[in-house]
Amino acid sequence: MSDMAIQIRNLVKSYGELLAVDNLDFDVARTECFGLLGPNGAGKTTTMKIIYGKALPSPNKDTVIDIFGYHPRKDALIIKAFSGIVPQQDNLDSELNVTDNLLIYSRFYGMKARDAKSRIAELLDFMELQDKAKVKIRELSGGMQRRLTIARALINKPKLLILDEPTTGLDPQVRHLIWNKIRELKEMGVTVLLTTHYMEEAFQICDRIIIMDKGRKILEGKPHQLLSANLEAYVMEIYGATKERIADSPYINRSGIRHESYQDTMFVYSNDSEKLSGCAEALHISDYHIRQANLEDLFLKVTGRGLNELQ
Amino acid sequence: MNYNNDNRPPSGWNRITSVWHRHERVYNSNFISNAFPPLLEPLIILAGLGIGLGSYIQTMGTMSYTLFLASGIIVTSSMYTAAFECTYGTFIRLEFDHVYDGMLGAPISPTNLILGEILFAGTKGFIFALAVLIITWLTGIIDYPLSIIAAFIGFICGIMFGTLSMWITSCVKNINHFNFYFTGLLSPMFFFSGSVFPIENLPPAMQWVAEATPLTHVVRLARAFCVADQLGWYLMTDLLYCGIFILITGWLAVRGLKKRLVD
Repeated sequence: MSDMAIQIRNLVKSYGELLAVDNLDFDVARTECFGLLGPNGAGKTTTMKIIYGKALPSPNKDTVIDIFGYHPRKDALIIKAFSGIVPQQDNLDSELNVTDNLLIYSRFYGMKARDAKSRIAELLDFMELQDKAKVKIRELSGGMQRRLTIARALINKPKLLILDEPTTGLDPQVRHLIWNKIRELKEMGVTVLLTTHYMEEAFQICDRIIIMDKGRKILEGKPHQLLSANLEAYVMEIYGATKERIADSPYINRSGIRHESYQDTMFVYSNDSEKLSGCAEALHISDYHIRQANLEDLFLKVTGRGLNELQ
Repeated sequence: MNYNNDNRPPSGWNRITSVWHRHERVYNSNFISNAFPPLLEPLIILAGLGIGLGSYIQTMGTMSYTLFLASGIIVTSSMYTAAFECTYGTFIRLEFDHVYDGMLGAPISPTNLILGEILFAGTKGFIFALAVLIITWLTGIIDYPLSIIAAFIGFICGIMFGTLSMWITSCVKNINHFNFYFTGLLSPMFFFSGSVFPIENLPPAMQWVAEATPLTHVVRLARAFCVADQLGWYLMTDLLYCGIFILITGWLAVRGLKKRLVD
């Protein structure tokens, strides 16, 4: 048995003229948490849909798709039987209560009602929804609905969990809870594939990530390594009017430190924070902020700061 | 917890019935508001036309007008319930509630999902026909023992209008376009199918059109089981029509909706 959970080679998907996924390659190892990052329209969701057969790849003789030994074109049902899928939008049956939602879903996997009931109790505990078993969906908060959608995807004890933007629009407490649960699942042997545009999310839970833009892979690696290999350690942000004054300053240009402007903020990068504060002093800047560079800076560096037509 | 399942998907029949089961649960959670108005409609027609028009027209061929009307509208209620379910209902699940996105994350194929939906439309057709039948039994309008079979004709009618409506839905991008289907196709069909007056005396061209539409055949079948001395081999043509109609529109529905369900 191969160590790889997912192997993707030369994946292409176009919708008419639009090339949504452009020759994408990646591998996901078993029990790894793998993240697809990128702005809206980068092709993340399309890639996920292809994995469980909700979208078909465009014909291409070099394409390889291997999901635990299965290809979604022939074996989508088998892949879905051992996977759990959390789509971007919650789609629970709002007229029914929490338990009924899960019971109905358990039938899709052919589970017996008795097994399903004990599994549901387990899952409600796990997602901390045990008090909500009889509550109707439309009375649940957004965060609870999201947790329930994740619980629903776990009903068959999946070995592959696919999450499309699991924490978009949720408050920090719920996000942290979901991150903890994903870590726990990983320890229990689940392979996790997720999309996100929160850099912190990738940093918190992903073992490896790829950054995508316009259907292509731009960077791939462990979050920490990507950061240190592609970006200086510190960033100084300079705001507003001060930015205009120093943008053409010979000091900045002479010192050879990398800098860029976006709207009313200037970003100055260096591996040495002293050098940045020295720079601020030399230029008599008072309104500035020095911080550690994060994945967000890297993301913006590689995908660009401007908006694309889908954002 | 062992998260290394090698579960296989359930059998095709179980996948289809699990879809049916989902619809049944959701429908029954709002049973009164879902079932009451559509059931009231045949009663209004029966009262309005039966008492009103019935006092002028005592007999329709060999039977009383009330019997003619009652045996005609058993399956029209099946037609309307199946048509509503597989147009507005399907469209809302597809486009607004994203219910299908959730179901297709489980081991259910698009074809399973569509067949489960059509089976549910057939079930509703059966239940609605049965409900009208019960009322006609209680009021003594219909007392022919074989009339129970008309409920199964209601099932066939539900399947026919389920497949037709699902195919229409697969072509519709805007929910308001269903108005054309209901006003332009189903309403004339209701009147020109032999349910409220016989088609035999219509001009030949209109008779020909009536014979081409699906409702005429299920009305004829249902009436044959509700009224004495109507059964005969001629009904096989109607059954054959129903079978072919289901196969063709069913195939079109699956083909059209698959494109909407899989990118």
